[in-house]
Amino acid sequence: MSFAVETQLLFRRKMLELMRQPVWIFAGLSSPLLYLALFAPLLQALAGGPGFTGKSVLDVFVPGIIVLMAFGSGMGAGWVTIIEVDTGVLERLTVSPASRFALLLGTVLRDVVWLIIPALLVILVAIPFGFHPNPAGTVVLLAIASLITAMTSAISGALGIKLRQIGSLAAVVTGMQLPLMLLSGILLPLSLAPSWMVVLAHVDPMYYAVEASRVLANGSILNGTVGTAFAVLGVLTALSLWWATGVYRKALA
Amino acid sequence: MQTRQAATGAVSSRDLRKSFSVGGKAVEAVSGLNLDVGRGEIFGLLGPNGAGKTTTLRMLATLIPIDGGEATVAGIDVRRKPKEVRRRIGYVGQLRGADLPATGRENLLLQGRLYGASGSEASLRASELIELLALGDFADRPARTYSGGQRRRLEVALGIMHRPEVLFLDEPSTGLDPQNRSNLWDQLRGLNAAGTTIFLTTHYLEEADALANRLAIIDHGKVVAEGTPLELKRRVGGGTFVVRTALPAPELEDLRAALANLAPISGASLDGQALRLRTSDGRAAVAAVAQMLDARDVPLAALSLSEASLDDVFLQETGRSLRDAGQNNPEAVR
Repeated sequence: MSFAVETQLLFRRKMLELMRQPVWIFAGLSSPLLYLALFAPLLQALAGGPGFTGKSVLDVFVPGIIVLMAFGSGMGAGWVTIIEVDTGVLERLTVSPASRFALLLGTVLRDVVWLIIPALLVILVAIPFGFHPNPAGTVVLLAIASLITAMTSAISGALGIKLRQIGSLAAVVTGMQLPLMLLSGILLPLSLAPSWMVVLAHVDPMYYAVEASRVLANGSILNGTVGTAFAVLGVLTALSLWWATGVYRKALA
Repeated sequence: MQTRQAATGAVSSRDLRKSFSVGGKAVEAVSGLNLDVGRGEIFGLLGPNGAGKTTTLRMLATLIPIDGGEATVAGIDVRRKPKEVRRRIGYVGQLRGADLPATGRENLLLQGRLYGASGSEASLRASELIELLALGDFADRPARTYSGGQRRRLEVALGIMHRPEVLFLDEPSTGLDPQNRSNLWDQLRGLNAAGTTIFLTTHYLEEADALANRLAIIDHGKVVAEGTPLELKRRVGGGTFVVRTALPAPELEDLRAALANLAPISGASLDGQALRLRTSDGRAAVAAVAQMLDARDVPLAALSLSEASLDDVFLQETGRSLRDAGQNNPEAVR
């Protein structure tokens, strides 16, 4: 059995699982739309001011939301691996000859797909309210966002296996999510921030994605900010996948 | 069934060892286990909770690393070629393993394909197993809607989807009602008759007795006795009296002590209101026990003599009853 076929089979299992959980689908869509509905209007007052010199505040804010969604859509993976440890599914799959990396990748790819679809929806919804997406820039942005989702999905899934308790996982995930989100400049651009915060932001991988997302929204693809984002996130994603595969390999020892 | 072929046997282990760290201290869960299971056997590993049954099974099924010793499954070295072993075994663990959001059929199809079957082969085999294990009425419903017995049948089907040479089952009938349990036994016997070697762990005497054609009784990670259920029971010889009375607890204990002192009685234990008396000479024991009960004017509810049970074997080898052993064992089963 080739690795590609295994991955495709395990991906399909995860997609079917998602389709049967309308609650997940609803939850995945509701928070970005709530940000658009209940947070973006607050930014209108800042239009034209510092940090919002673009055509529309949504041009600054929507790319940030997509990065936020990328982070969130991978973070749920650990909840499911805890259930799969408890019900023995993971044990059964690890007794099979299937590749451990394929086991991991089934979930990771599902999470990436389940980032891209709602992200496109958010973009479409934002257009009538003044968002001006750049087509090529959007494609590259979704690629960066996919790296974030793959990274968080792998880390969360592996943490689920290691921690085995929903409470511990929730503490770690939410404990990471808030500082990473605040430091990345998702909600308000970091050009408004004091310099110590900007310095600190450089240890936050999300910061690079948010910076790149705003450049990309202007249609500028071949520039250093985008390159840096790919380099940083590419390396971190590769490391996360490698570490998580090791956790799957030793899963139940 | 009884032919043992070391080289081509289904499962074989030599001096198998495994330790876990419990609170910073290494605790040996399996300490030098030797097993030989021939192809075509239904082999049972019987022992109390914490005896090392599950740990042994998980080592043989490649789930946890082997600390020491050698093991082969289907003729393949478990330590050196775990992936080769995985292709040849089925495994139904204590956690069971059905994917609950998926339907039974989807579970089976994925399982088949992960073991290398083509789509059409897997679908043919799935239909076959749905028929064989009577999953037809609910095969296309999500597994989370199944009853306990239905789910266990699906999980056995998952274990044999790829026609493994050896099927490992960890406490297969735990949590099943008597009817589902005996259905499961019938199905396992059927699989065995069709050529699958079955290796199961159990702490149920009845299960070991009814299902296994050969047994190893283990305690504290070591084999204490091995043979067919009949051989093991014959080795103990004699039988067990069960005396049921309505006596209050203090008097019952008093009676137990008195009976234990009778010459033909080799051991007496209390099991609720029932006194279990071990004897190697039934004829002499009948007379002596009846005489004492009569002399003490004990209000008798029932008196029965049964042949030696596997519990008697365990009692003889370890000095404890299997029913009591493992109750206060601090070690997690894992």
